[in-house]
Amino acid sequence: MDEAIEKAPAAGRAPKRAMSDTWYSILLIAPAVIVILFFALFPLLYAIDLSFRHVDLTSAVGIGPYVGLDNYRFALNDRIFWESTRRTLIFAVGAVSVEMVLGVAIAFLLNQLRWFQGILRSLLILPLASAPAAVGLVWRYMYHPDFGVYNGILATLGLPELKWLADVRLAMPSVIVFDVWQWTPFVALIVLAGLQSLPKEPFEAAELDGASTWQVLRRLTFPMLAPVLTLVFVLRSIDAIRLYDAILSLSHGGPGTATETLTYYLYRIGLKYFRLDHASAISLMFLYVTVVFTGVALRSMMRVQAERARRA
Amino acid sequence: MQAKTFTMADLVRYTLVIAMLIFFLFPIYWMITTSFKPPPDILTRPPKWVFEPTLVNYVYAFEEADFAMFMKNSATVSLISTTLVIVAGCLASYSFARYNPGAGHLTFFILTTRMMPAIAVIIPFFVIFKEVGETAIGQALSLGLDRLGALVVCYTVFNLPLAIWLLISFFQDIPVELEDSARLDGYSRLQVLRRVVLPLAAPGIAVTAIFTLLFSWNEFLFAFLLTRDVARTITVGVAGFWTQRGILWGPLSAAATVCVVPMLIFALLLQRYIVRGLTFGAVRG
Repeated sequence: MDEAIEKAPAAGRAPKRAMSDTWYSILLIAPAVIVILFFALFPLLYAIDLSFRHVDLTSAVGIGPYVGLDNYRFALNDRIFWESTRRTLIFAVGAVSVEMVLGVAIAFLLNQLRWFQGILRSLLILPLASAPAAVGLVWRYMYHPDFGVYNGILATLGLPELKWLADVRLAMPSVIVFDVWQWTPFVALIVLAGLQSLPKEPFEAAELDGASTWQVLRRLTFPMLAPVLTLVFVLRSIDAIRLYDAILSLSHGGPGTATETLTYYLYRIGLKYFRLDHASAISLMFLYVTVVFTGVALRSMMRVQAERARRA
Repeated sequence: MQAKTFTMADLVRYTLVIAMLIFFLFPIYWMITTSFKPPPDILTRPPKWVFEPTLVNYVYAFEEADFAMFMKNSATVSLISTTLVIVAGCLASYSFARYNPGAGHLTFFILTTRMMPAIAVIIPFFVIFKEVGETAIGQALSLGLDRLGALVVCYTVFNLPLAIWLLISFFQDIPVELEDSARLDGYSRLQVLRRVVLPLAAPGIAVTAIFTLLFSWNEFLFAFLLTRDVARTITVGVAGFWTQRGILWGPLSAAATVCVVPMLIFALLLQRYIVRGLTFGAVRG
């Protein structure tokens, strides 16, 4: 690798001189950018092509002729598409809001501890490091209406047992609880790191001035923590709308379609019914919305980061 | 600052801490204990908390499915793709941090590809690997369907954007003056990169490698859809106990334990690197 770069033809006017900074910088990014461009652009172009054709791999049609905007029209008139979009939003709003509140509370709690803070922080990493596809199946066992440990605990406490994932109304909250289990530590750890990196001086000054705890929180802690909170919120929201492994291992989208989010619906029409035309059209719309949303969110995040870098 | 005695406030705090620990650690405890339960004790009502530990679930899991191979596949794919991600990622992020080619637009574009839902690109990936796998080069590089090379490519592509972003923040922390003085000492640009910059960025490279390895080992969707037999990875192996006849909870827990516990140990050992990595390097952890 290194040799290849050293031997690469020196660009610019004078052939004997070393490569210009511009060429050097382009050479360094080339491997990564070529790989990313190829694997981002090819699937995109392919999906765009399919989305304008009639494609049904289960029939003799295969990859058929162009049909204009039919697939987009189908998607926009598809009731299940809108329902799964709605469920995705319900999941994302539910999971992310609980995770933010709980995670911030845990971060404040850990920050006040005098003993065991380090080991507790380590233990919080464990849910994050577990493969959702594997541990989700274990949660399915724990949610089992007859043999599950959660109903066992409820029965011991004399509370009514629940059907969890088998109950149409409880299935989505059950998936949310799983996500809260896995991702609240993420919020807590980042916010804790943020809390511990705040400068000491303003707080000491506030203490001297006799400010109340509430005033300190509202006027100092939260405003100074705002960039970190925004960052966590954006990262969690992006991942929540793409949730996939957990649905596949916990519920397969069921009971009925109670937990069928957009990604699972895509999986069903694309890879079970092989209607690649509909799947491509929906993927592209999904992609477009997520890219626009994350684009806006990330731009503001990057501004915050650039500002921090300037101040540092 | 405070007295070293245990106050009322401490009592409240540590009670909350215990409740928190139970919620976050209990599922892992239950997974591990279930894996050692004799089969008759797994489907009882109410669930059994005390039992004679046994290894039958592990024996069944390793006999019924080739878990040794799944683990080897997961390890191979994770290690190779992590190496590729680190090499390509370091070169690119160093360049972005120092020279900023593309004036921010390129880095922004790279980050947006990280946001792509994998499910939306899986069909084109499937087609690519199906076609490439039938060519001689594809076979030589093991790039077809149900081949490890295909997974290596997927994990490299999907982890590179995040890796580049993480690494940029670490490279930006290295003072340019150090590089300038090394240049004045007669180092070439590449020597500066190899002997000055990379050693200083080692903690950041460690963070990035940990994350790439963790994500690759835990990945499910690509492995599930692009492999069938010989290239199956461990997460897909675990899901294999959800059979047509029902879910085999005992072997499934054993398999899940084998899949999850190595990463838990890995994460505990390297926890101090992880916190900073979690934040895209934006918060100094």
